[in-house]
Amino acid sequence: MNREQGTGSREQGAGNREQAAASSSDFELTLRLLARLSAPEGLEERVEASLRAAPRATTSPARILRWPVALENSWVRAAAAAAILAVMLGGGWGVYSLVQPVRPLQPARAVAAPPHLATPGGGFSNAGAMRTPHTLNGPVVAPQSKPEAKPAAHSSGKALHRAQPTAASEDGPAAIPGRYDK
Amino acid sequence: MSAGEAVFSGWMKIADKTVPETARQHAEEDALAALVSQYAATLYRVAYSVLRNSSDAEDAVQEAFLRVLRHRDTLSEVRDQRVWLIRIVWNIVLDRKRRAKTRPETDDVSELARVLPAKGLNAEQRAAAAEQHAHVLACVEQLPAKERQVLMLSAFEELTSVEIAAVAGITESSVRSRLFRARNLMAEMLHHTRSVR
Repeated sequence: MNREQGTGSREQGAGNREQAAASSSDFELTLRLLARLSAPEGLEERVEASLRAAPRATTSPARILRWPVALENSWVRAAAAAAILAVMLGGGWGVYSLVQPVRPLQPARAVAAPPHLATPGGGFSNAGAMRTPHTLNGPVVAPQSKPEAKPAAHSSGKALHRAQPTAASEDGPAAIPGRYDK
Repeated sequence: MSAGEAVFSGWMKIADKTVPETARQHAEEDALAALVSQYAATLYRVAYSVLRNSSDAEDAVQEAFLRVLRHRDTLSEVRDQRVWLIRIVWNIVLDRKRRAKTRPETDDVSELARVLPAKGLNAEQRAAAAEQHAHVLACVEQLPAKERQVLMLSAFEELTSVEIAAVAGITESSVRSRLFRARNLMAEMLHHTRSVR
């Protein structure tokens, strides 16, 4: 039963593959027919004619001046260009100097300017104004009095040794009667 | 060395400052004429496979050569002129096709029946074959753009997969994978339409 199903599915698969191959060969045939088409007659002549008719401005690099044959040498060209430039500049200057209107001499007007108030930062000045902020009178703190002098017993080394508190007795030596009486 | 390359190598020797301008122009014209005579038909077929209109395809070929004329100073740097020219015309036709999408689609069946070779077929068989071709091409149009382009380029027997990759601007492995996907999709579409019929 299973073997029959297997053979059946295999046959179906083979059939699908054949169909796919057939269809692929079909469409590839169409594409190949298109790709093998011959070009129309006279195509080359028409293309060449269009190329000949195309503007030839781009055949040589763009130029401002087309030099005559006599000016083939680059030094001669440079000299000619300099001469042309000098003539143009000279002519232009001559025309400019002729066209300039003659103005009568006038005394310069004096303009009264306010005195400049220099600021250290270079910004706007405050024109001498002073800001006085309205603040409340703050609390006055009295000067602290000097701490009182310590008793004289603390100054001697023996007394100091006695006065050191220990972890065992917070109350001091007076709390243990008779300990230091020996 | 092909005829075009031979002419261009000669042209590069001629393109010296000491050579008069007219002689250089003549050399350029000769080189372009050689390119046209050698590759015009190939470019036309590439253009026609996409545009499927003879006058449009011819316009595309002319535009491609005009671009070559504009950029002929860089021709010496081109390694494979055939692939370079096919790439130029390929870009032109894809651009035209993209722009033409806004226009209504024309019926291709009659044009295909007229153009495609059908030797040994009577009128009825020819019409049926043209209809079949039109149906296949309609299915090709439904493919995704990347797969469609590779499939159409693969139909040109003179183009290897490396050259297809150079024309489409992708890697060779991408060409293979796209071609595989395109073939599968086409087989599915054609099988589906047959089962519907």
